[in-house]
Amino acid sequence: MAENESTQNSVPPPLQCVVFVSELRNGGNIEPLVTGNSKYVAKRLEKFKTTIFTQMSSLAIKHGAINLGQGFPNFDGPDFVKEAAIQAIRDGKNQYARGCGVPDLNLAVAERFKKDTGLVVDPEREVTVTSGCTEAIAATMLSLVNPGDEVVVFAPFYDSYEATLSMAGAVTKSITLRPPTFSAPIDELRSLISKSTRAILLNTPHNPTGKMFTRDELDAIASLCIEHDVLVFSDEVYDKLAFELDHISIASLPGMYERTVTLNSLGKTFSLTGWKIGWAIAPPHLTWGVRQAHSFLTFATATPLQHAAVAALRAPDSYFEELRRDYLAKKSILVEWLKSVGFKVFPSSGTYFVVVDHTPFGQENDVAFCEYLIKEVGVVAIPTSVFYLNPEEGKNLVRFTFCKDEQTLRSAVERMKEKLIIKKH
Amino acid sequence: MEKLSSVAKALAPSPIQELSFLAQRCNAINLAEGFPDFVAPAHIKNAAVSAINSDFNQYRHVQGICDYVAQKMKEMHGMSIDPLTDIVICCGQSEAFAAAIFAIIDHGDEVIVFDPSYETYDTCIRLTGGVPVYVGLDPPYWTLDPDKLEKAFTDKTKAVVLNRPLLWQHSPHNPTGKVFTKDELEVISEVCTRRDVLAVTDEVYEHITYDSRSHVSLASLPGMQSRTVITSSLSKTYSVTGWRVGWAIAPRCIASAIRNIHIRLTDSAPAPFQEAALTALRSPPSYFETLRSDYESKRDCIFELLVKVGFKMLFKPQGSFFVFAELPETCSLSDVEFVEELIKQAGVVAVPGAGFFHGDGCCSRRYIRFAFCKSNETLSAAAAKISELAEGDGRLKIFEHVFAL
Repeated sequence: MAENESTQNSVPPPLQCVVFVSELRNGGNIEPLVTGNSKYVAKRLEKFKTTIFTQMSSLAIKHGAINLGQGFPNFDGPDFVKEAAIQAIRDGKNQYARGCGVPDLNLAVAERFKKDTGLVVDPEREVTVTSGCTEAIAATMLSLVNPGDEVVVFAPFYDSYEATLSMAGAVTKSITLRPPTFSAPIDELRSLISKSTRAILLNTPHNPTGKMFTRDELDAIASLCIEHDVLVFSDEVYDKLAFELDHISIASLPGMYERTVTLNSLGKTFSLTGWKIGWAIAPPHLTWGVRQAHSFLTFATATPLQHAAVAALRAPDSYFEELRRDYLAKKSILVEWLKSVGFKVFPSSGTYFVVVDHTPFGQENDVAFCEYLIKEVGVVAIPTSVFYLNPEEGKNLVRFTFCKDEQTLRSAVERMKEKLIIKKH
Repeated sequence: MEKLSSVAKALAPSPIQELSFLAQRCNAINLAEGFPDFVAPAHIKNAAVSAINSDFNQYRHVQGICDYVAQKMKEMHGMSIDPLTDIVICCGQSEAFAAAIFAIIDHGDEVIVFDPSYETYDTCIRLTGGVPVYVGLDPPYWTLDPDKLEKAFTDKTKAVVLNRPLLWQHSPHNPTGKVFTKDELEVISEVCTRRDVLAVTDEVYEHITYDSRSHVSLASLPGMQSRTVITSSLSKTYSVTGWRVGWAIAPRCIASAIRNIHIRLTDSAPAPFQEAALTALRSPPSYFETLRSDYESKRDCIFELLVKVGFKMLFKPQGSFFVFAELPETCSLSDVEFVEELIKQAGVVAVPGAGFFHGDGCCSRRYIRFAFCKSNETLSAAAAKISELAEGDGRLKIFEHVFAL
């Protein structure tokens, strides 16, 4: 990948022409998973699957496709945050930070959380900084879940969850959110929860559907958790990309803070996905476990970038308003055109994703459609079947992202207008 | 509500970090934590600044790091490594090691670890359900006893051929500063090969070796490359311990597994620092020569000081920036008691050695670890404060102090 061989001063090529191999958010590992035949590799790797993305990505490069699949921006973060990082480097903040986070950042996270939820948390005992939300999730699962414990996830789910749960030895139980509304099937949840259930893994706003859990849904989930003494791990990385509803943190519901780990990060809100600054907020007895696992997974998080994160989290309200406005504009470009070319578009209340039904175009399933879209149309989407325990459930759906600059979105939309043909039945 | 996993319940907080807090509270000179108090090299900082300005801020994998690391392994050790398949970039050596262990250890697998050892390895192994088995290096020179090593492979280990047992080794060595000799590495490689065992190495101090001793990578020995995972990072070589860029090098199948674990643990190392790593890894030979000679003179200063004030110093560190000092027989204090006294009386912090020992060694309470990765000013100030506690004969009063029970 030529762009990664750049020297210090070269300008990277436009990102829409480069596809990162392997995972949705992955930074671009080229080599596909090669296990199976090695006797040295641990059994926990058996649950790890990546091949669909490798196929998609090499296809995409081959056909010069515009990438509306990968879930990270092709524009950069705000200058004031980048400048804060540069200042921190120049000020010599380049050595190990305190393992659980630079104190200023723990404080800024707590302040932000109070502003967003009204909850007052102790930055020193209830906030842990990690290398991205990915690590916060891993540390949470490894420290709070025992082998054999059941953890409930809502399908479609971010594909890493299942693999990380298997690292902790957990049994993944899945409940499907179904189109068109993707509402939470509370009755199913009620019958699924057993005395083996350790936790529910919640993601709101939700990747890939863009669904946001409503107050009623969260109340129902909360009451089940309290009744059965179940924890909640709440992945809220898209909380600032809430468009149709207000984002609600389940931790703020009565009786829930004491049993919730709230997970978030800098990356999506500030378009700095490669900085890997995330955090977990939880009561002291849960935080203690998360911190222990974290200290043995990565030990500490990038120091200068933590200092910059302080500036980011203290951004004025206008930053977040503008963020939403910008994304809303991008969303309307994409959604209007997706509808007009013939997709059935499901309403997305948050995140920068939208899920559509591709069946009007007559392809066999989501993977076949995505291949067709790359080869014949020159646009990348993600087949959602990989987000389900049972891939059949996702075969009619694909995911597009609008975290791209407007020019990229318009070019993609032009290609689809020109070349996507609805198959008449 | 006791909701911790059983593994997490068994974990204890890091003693090194706690001492650091104490040092801060007392405003003590910190010779405990292993990171520099001098500035990182300018050319590398500039590269990071430039990367941030050039928008290298989204998820990325900088293949160039793998290319340079492979090149270095060829230059230093004569090893041929495929940069496309054999190297995984991680968030520091910490994550590379964690990912490696998760990639190869199943529940119940035994992992042989040399004692004394860096505290993190024990817990990392336990997090995966593995069982650490300790082989003590023999003081005062921290030599490897081949018989002891052989005996560490138990019947259980044998049955664990299905679940492979694992050997872990760290050279140059934290906390003692020992560098394994070629003979010792040959002993280790022979037993690994004969018993079809993997090795995981931590080579973060690979460029910090003394007295013209060069670091030999275990993986460079015959038969070892196909069964060794090497972990290392930018941190110690380039004095940027806070940047979190490291890597694991392994045969293709294992590297692939490590990569997949890494993706679930953190997904990506910090992007702008990956970019800056390219500049760091391209540093000229003079950079490494200066690094080595600067650290060597710091080592000599602190070693001489410790000898002068009465520590038993039979072993001079051959690598890393730590010195493991033994309390003299006359000293009735334990390591922890001594460290506390040193903080209170001299305002200098070091690390009690007990935390590095996991066996039942009688020597485990007799060692103090000092870090010398500090500026000359810091080291002189520490030396002055410690010397103030000396009596007429130059030895520390504390060594003669008898505590009433």
